[in-house]
Amino acid sequence: MIKLWAAVVGFVAILAAPSAAMAQEKSAVRPGFVLKPGSAKILLFRPKISVGAQSTGGMFEPNADWTAQARENLSAALDEAQAHLGNRVVAAAEPVGPAAQTLAAYQSLFSVVAESVIEYQFFKGNRLPTKKRKGEFDWTVGPGVAALGQGTGCDYALFLVTDDQYGSTGRKVLQVFAALARVPVAVGVHKGFAGLVDLRTGDLVWLNADLQMGGDVRSQAGAAKRMGQLLADFPGRPIVTEPSSEGK
Amino acid sequence: MRIGRSLAIAAGVAGSALTPSTLIAETKPTLPPYAGAYEPRTVDERGVWMQADEDERGLRDSQFLINDPALSAYVRAVLCRTVGADRCRGVRLYIERVPAFNATMAPNGTLRVWTGMLLRLRNEAELAAVLAHEFAHFERRHSLAEYRHNRGATDVMAWAGLIGGAVSSTVFNAALLSIPAFSRAEETEADMLSARYIAAAGYDVRCFADVWSRLMDEADATALGRHQRSRRYDRVAFFASHPTNLDRAIYLRDFAARQPIGGDTGQDSWRAALTPWRAGLLADQLKLNDFGGTEYVLGQLGADGWSEDLLFARAELYRTRGNPRDLVTAADLYRQAIAIDPAHVESYRGLGLALIRSGDAESGRAALRRYLDLAPGADDAPMLASLLS
Repeated sequence: MIKLWAAVVGFVAILAAPSAAMAQEKSAVRPGFVLKPGSAKILLFRPKISVGAQSTGGMFEPNADWTAQARENLSAALDEAQAHLGNRVVAAAEPVGPAAQTLAAYQSLFSVVAESVIEYQFFKGNRLPTKKRKGEFDWTVGPGVAALGQGTGCDYALFLVTDDQYGSTGRKVLQVFAALARVPVAVGVHKGFAGLVDLRTGDLVWLNADLQMGGDVRSQAGAAKRMGQLLADFPGRPIVTEPSSEGK
Repeated sequence: MRIGRSLAIAAGVAGSALTPSTLIAETKPTLPPYAGAYEPRTVDERGVWMQADEDERGLRDSQFLINDPALSAYVRAVLCRTVGADRCRGVRLYIERVPAFNATMAPNGTLRVWTGMLLRLRNEAELAAVLAHEFAHFERRHSLAEYRHNRGATDVMAWAGLIGGAVSSTVFNAALLSIPAFSRAEETEADMLSARYIAAAGYDVRCFADVWSRLMDEADATALGRHQRSRRYDRVAFFASHPTNLDRAIYLRDFAARQPIGGDTGQDSWRAALTPWRAGLLADQLKLNDFGGTEYVLGQLGADGWSEDLLFARAELYRTRGNPRDLVTAADLYRQAIAIDPAHVESYRGLGLALIRSGDAESGRAALRRYLDLAPGADDAPMLASLLS
């Protein structure tokens, strides 16, 4: 039922102006945070990746093959991008027992905190009074997160999330006819966010959230472009010219 | 959707017109053919399975799971007895600590059972019925069918909404209302298939309808306690995803009436498996702040006699509401619990607090002293000790 209402609400939403995402800020770094190249080891948790199509009515149609391709492509793209990050990224082993519970809890918490940042800080019109000071970026998942890094020798944890819904032919046809009636219909959803958490303090030191990302994650080249955008202003990265930072 | 519903009603009417001898022959429970280990096939099916697989990864490591080998083995054994050992292999069972009545099934065979349901069910046959209902959703691929139906319906809505006009608006509403109607038809189908499963497994089929009758009574008690209007059961709300509890009770009772009398309720094994959990489940229920509903649930559980854990839970319910008269009732209930089990530690604590709050400080302190003697290491021992000085 939840999916149904999301579709109904989404349908109503297409009649409204879809430009809210444009007005948003996309990334922030905790004031005073610097990450020198070669100074830290970064732990990467299993990225949340979801790829599918968008039906004519705006419903998400999950696609297992596309998602599997995207997982593979994005993983390869991250290996490639590491060279430009200046710090080493290691994939976290899948834990068992109580450690798995802790990880699941922190992954959920990270998603909630990241969504709160997008909603209550990046979206200027909705900014919380405590987040209004210029240059402020003060969010944390709490010091308990240190348990995740124990025994890995890592200083930071990297979380990656992407959500892609490619517009179906029906959706595109609807968009054309709707445009004739001057009704804006959005086709496709391409969201992604990447965040870096300090494993000693739990502070969110960097977050990049983009609700209109480029790069088709189903192809290798597209995934490389997407990863470039996700890590575009990664703190402390050496300045290099790279093809992936061009427009979408 | 509509067709499914009206067929269900027609079958009931036709059945009641037949003679008893032809009835039993005609309504002999039949079960769907078993297909063995299953892999999703189409793009749509693989997609919904993928989503369910991702959800299950998170669920497997959730802190809200009750990972007790004995309890899990018991619930699983009931499922396997009901649907067959081969079929139940396709299901992973998760018991979630949620104090409400529900169980859900994901398309990939993730079966979630909420603890609030375990508190409210009265015997093994009722558990078997609920598990078989969820299994029927899995076996009939209901999530996939619903997903496809909803996609078609929202597509129609998108075009109808764009075109506009009176005819389009009718089409739009018809498509919108077909979505919950489709869901209700699936629920009815799952109920009926579940009834056939439990009948074939030798459980007492009549138990299933009782579950819905009690849930209606509990909802009424909750509404009364909160000074709200109770909901109606004689008609379906437009967007209801399930048939009303009254509908379910009626058609399940109708089915049960056409089955041979008898069957196993599994009362003893149910009691043996759930009694160790009842105090904890009651503690979660008490935190819902639902005086009327909790009083009803306790009354149902106490129908076969009030044990110390039920008396204690009822005492806590009254003490936490905290009117002066409630404290008197609570103190009395705590004393009854202590009379049954003089070593029921928490009852001394509750009794002490209730008495002190009622103005009987001397007896209250005596009860608290007894609590601290029996449980010197309790979390709240220092705080309660401060009441004694």
